[in-house]
Amino acid sequence: MAARKAPLLVVDADPEGGAGVMADPGDLVEDDVLRLVLMCCHPALGPEVASALALRLVVGVSTADIARLFLVPEPTMAARITRGKKKIAAAGIPFTVPAADDLPSRLRVVAQTAYLAFTAGYAPGSGPDLLRADLAGEAVRLVRVTLAVRPDEAVLRALLALVLLQHSRRDARVGADGSLVLLPDQDRSRWHRGEVDEAVRVLAGLGPSADLLTESYRLQALIAAEHALAPAAADTRWDRICAAYDALARVSPSPMVRLAAAVAVAERDDPAAGLAALDGLDAELPGSHRLPAVRGELLARLGDDRAAIAALDEAIRLCGNEVERAHLIERRDGLASD
Amino acid sequence: MKRYLVLIAYEPGDWEHVDEDTRQEVFTAHRAFEAHVAEHGEKVAGAALGDADTATTLRGPERTVTDGPFVESVEQVGGYYDVRLPDLDTAIAAARLLPASYTVEIRPVVGVEGYDEA
Repeated sequence: MAARKAPLLVVDADPEGGAGVMADPGDLVEDDVLRLVLMCCHPALGPEVASALALRLVVGVSTADIARLFLVPEPTMAARITRGKKKIAAAGIPFTVPAADDLPSRLRVVAQTAYLAFTAGYAPGSGPDLLRADLAGEAVRLVRVTLAVRPDEAVLRALLALVLLQHSRRDARVGADGSLVLLPDQDRSRWHRGEVDEAVRVLAGLGPSADLLTESYRLQALIAAEHALAPAAADTRWDRICAAYDALARVSPSPMVRLAAAVAVAERDDPAAGLAALDGLDAELPGSHRLPAVRGELLARLGDDRAAIAALDEAIRLCGNEVERAHLIERRDGLASD
Repeated sequence: MKRYLVLIAYEPGDWEHVDEDTRQEVFTAHRAFEAHVAEHGEKVAGAALGDADTATTLRGPERTVTDGPFVESVEQVGGYYDVRLPDLDTAIAAARLLPASYTVEIRPVVGVEGYDEA
């Protein structure tokens, strides 16, 4: 196939309803949208190239904004997008909908690509976090655009619920002074209720899935929904969150899931149970500041300030992000002055 | 139609140690690959190669001749197909038919302007 120039789509996403896809110049049919999404999210492209291409060509995000989202200089992002287009042409990545057998796995790649772009918006950076969280909203639009042409695709619906719930907290997670506000301390009135409600509606229509990726998104969304629906932090149903983490650990086992599960266990039972659940994680999370940060917090709750300060010191040493670091230092200094 | 070189890599020495059933499975897989290529395009060429320890390499301005392949690695190129197919997805579908023990690389073949006239 000759290097066919992909049309540039302009998408008008309505946050409450489905995405309206407008073609430029105006004659793209739904199949073309799906072809374009699948071409940009082809597994033969690297995930970072694919997510940049999809944001640029499907959602119409500017190269400058995509660069900000991924924390790279604009020329680097421009080169990445150019490399992607070149690979599409040179390798012969087709502008087609694959055979029915291949479509589910290709749509899983689309979901992973969109989620990578979304999480980039929340990756710790030195720039103003709020701005990048807004850019993460462009990845939500990518999910909506694809869902608009594949409305029954479970992996995309589970992902939409997950990203909506995470995104709904964007305004509450950074304080007025730019500091990090942890979930229990967030002003819940600043959560975007419309997004939470939509996600909960989507989740209600989704049963357990045999597909591991779909189920992993669904379980993470269920956990996020428990937080979103609790009127106050103290009302959180930690028993349900622990159950969802147990299921998640079976579907997609990872040290980060175990760490999050240990936090949930500490909340459901007591800090000692949480500490016990951290056993064996050190070897699997070497160099991560999150493990000593959690350990320090749990030790502090048990009243062992000395051990807590030592753990927080290690977390501060390992933490590369300014905002998180400031939070850890504040916590340690609070213990040290008692 | 695009043209692709499908490079096949496997661990050297594998072939001598396989039993007759496995050999037949490998042959069946290659026939399925060739049938898929014939259905959607055409095979230009294809062959199995001698193990990398029989390779000879010329390198540097002195054209120094040395024993062995370009790069020493666990997997070595052990065969190739040169095929014409409509697009990468067709090539990937064909490559999936080859034995699962292979690592397969698909490279587009490019024309060099000013050299190729056909």
